[in-house]
Amino acid sequence: MRPLLRWMTLLLAVLLTAAACQPSPASPPPSPTAAAPAPPSAASPTPGAAAPIRIGAPFNLTGGMASIDVPAANGARLAAEEINATGGVLGHPLELLIRDTKTDPATAANVVTQLIEQDKVVAVIGFNDSDYVLAAGPICQRAGVPFITVGATSPRLPGQVGDMLFLAPFGDNVQAAVGAEFAFEKFGKTAYLLWDKGAEYTTVLAKYFKARFTELGGTIVLEDTYQSGDKDFSAQIAKVKALPQQPAFYYIAALPDDVGTIVKQFRNAGIAGPIVGGDGYDTPLLIEVAGPAAESVFFTTHSLLTADSPNERVRKFVAAYKQKYGTEPEAVFAALGYDSVYMLAEAIRRAGSTNGRAIQQALENLRDFHGVTGVINYSPQSHIPQKGVTVIEAKGGKFTLAAERVPQKVPAP
Amino acid sequence: MRMSLAHRRWVWALRALLALALLGAGGAVARWGGAYLQRLVILFLINLMLVVSLNLFTGLTGVFSLGHVGFMALGAYTSAILTLPPALKAVNLPDLPAPLSNVTLPFLPALVAGGLVATAVAFLIGIPVLRLSGHFVAVATLGFLIIVRVVLINAEAFTRGTRTFTGVPPATTLGWAALWALLNLYVAMRVKGSALGLQIRAARDDPWGAQGVGVALGRVRLVAFLISAFFTGVAGGLWAHFLTAFSPNAFYFSKTFEIVVMMIVGGMGSISGSVLGTLLVMGSTELLRNLEPGISIGSITLGPLYGLSQIGLAILLMLLIAFRRQGLLGDREWGLEPIAERLGAWWEGRRAERVSLRVRKADP
Repeated sequence: MRPLLRWMTLLLAVLLTAAACQPSPASPPPSPTAAAPAPPSAASPTPGAAAPIRIGAPFNLTGGMASIDVPAANGARLAAEEINATGGVLGHPLELLIRDTKTDPATAANVVTQLIEQDKVVAVIGFNDSDYVLAAGPICQRAGVPFITVGATSPRLPGQVGDMLFLAPFGDNVQAAVGAEFAFEKFGKTAYLLWDKGAEYTTVLAKYFKARFTELGGTIVLEDTYQSGDKDFSAQIAKVKALPQQPAFYYIAALPDDVGTIVKQFRNAGIAGPIVGGDGYDTPLLIEVAGPAAESVFFTTHSLLTADSPNERVRKFVAAYKQKYGTEPEAVFAALGYDSVYMLAEAIRRAGSTNGRAIQQALENLRDFHGVTGVINYSPQSHIPQKGVTVIEAKGGKFTLAAERVPQKVPAP
Repeated sequence: MRMSLAHRRWVWALRALLALALLGAGGAVARWGGAYLQRLVILFLINLMLVVSLNLFTGLTGVFSLGHVGFMALGAYTSAILTLPPALKAVNLPDLPAPLSNVTLPFLPALVAGGLVATAVAFLIGIPVLRLSGHFVAVATLGFLIIVRVVLINAEAFTRGTRTFTGVPPATTLGWAALWALLNLYVAMRVKGSALGLQIRAARDDPWGAQGVGVALGRVRLVAFLISAFFTGVAGGLWAHFLTAFSPNAFYFSKTFEIVVMMIVGGMGSISGSVLGTLLVMGSTELLRNLEPGISIGSITLGPLYGLSQIGLAILLMLLIAFRRQGLLGDREWGLEPIAERLGAWWEGRRAERVSLRVRKADP
């Protein structure tokens, strides 16, 4: 055993030395001029080929968030390649540094620190959940690096992180308001509300829905909760069945993994009324798991990504995605990742520099930006875009467009 | 007698040298190391505390605890609630009961309070749980972990439920982390070598025999459990003030697994093994993670390999289980004493040689 121990120690020593050297693989060592946040024109190590503008793209490519973070990263990569094919930004190609943060907030914070400090990224895009945004955001804020979150929808994020943070999607209060208004007009004044206590997103979504729906004059006849990962909803269903009169519709705030199961069990129990939800329903799992039971399910989301969409941008995006990855976008977050990179490129172009503050100012003044997920407007007061919400209906085993709306009134975050 | 004095001198010289080296390394990292390196070192020190504390209980008593991350969560939430400024409390935790809602403690008392809360809870669950033995303790402590999670999710007034707890002041510096980690190491070493430690280990190796010579099995185990819970709670507090934002998901199976792996790699029951295990696991994961985006060797480029660090860790574990099941060090320690002994012997040898040379020169 002794020689083995020695061998292991040797291995450890080698590993540590290598770790101490901190290789930055597949990238040239940053030139001293590139270290300063100067306009990239000042920093071209080789004449002829312009130095790339580096953008950090941390995503949870492995672990529990992978099912939506991988499409988001794919969408971002597609956008960067398209931009580079048409000449890049300010004459420089974009270099997207996609990093895996393993669904672990501590890794997320380390990776973002490394991206800023060692890779000298000019901006960061990434993450679809507030846990990771809140771990990494303050680091970007302190370093003065703009950060666009691809899919985290909590409307309180900019207040919690600071003025360097921008949201690519709408806030949950916006989609909950649209859900409430749409259902109030279309289905009626009574609702059943069920939400998942195990996640921030569903908790917040239910809260905003309730606020807007009761403000409109609706009544919640019954409110109930469950825990993500529950597989049996018979207790909740029994309470619904015991109601003297069924509500006009059922608002269920659920995570993508649970959506199909819930819908199926509700329908099997004979509850046939419309079910309404948020962008957690935007997953192929809804129809795969619930099958024909998914009829008359309505949900609010960022965009309807189909190859035959009336929107030309969506059609082009879906076709390009399919050509590159061999499948249609797995989740709407692919489009948000795509839009995030285009938005950032546009801001760098308008700022005319890669200085963090200049990009942040340009993003704040970004108006009428047409993306796949709608028209994006930021303002110094609001780093959450005021964009339209798409309402989708599951019909005949397919997602179809039910409405595109802007809320009349949004609950305060 | 003279021999042992010289020996002790050597040990002290080595200790001083080690302390100087550590101080120098710490100073160099703080002074010249970038933010990334500092983060890694702080995270290493916090993980080290978690591993050493777990090892202090599991390694010495031989009963497996899968609930230590629960103590970490208690320490994290307690200290974070205590240091959160009142203005932020009004926004983030509007339903916090009165005495807590306007109390703001400095960092150190809050950390200690976190550790104490963990200790108190460990006392309560330790009394029933430590009556069990073997795998039953593992299952019972796992149950504790699940209970902690459910409580954290439902005590919304204190923890914001599943929503991210944010706004914690970033108070964990390299100095704080190093101080606590050293204290933890020192206490662990002392406990292992003390009469209590010997009793605990005797109870592990031969419970009947130990009880036969008067070791109170439950009580000595409980003491180890309490010390271990205290430092785990403090480590949780350091972690909370390091990351500044976290949710109950952070304190669950994946963190448990991470710590258990580090402990097993180093060797159950070995404090220096814990240092080695943490260093090896964190070093190799971080190194492999840096290779994930793609490697180019000459003209060959290996494309992005996301998940490489997890695969690497798995291979490391398999090799270890195949070739060295007791971990790198088993339950032995890498102490300074054997080195001191060897140095002393070498010195004595040289002196003897010189003396004999002088004698020979004088002889003709």
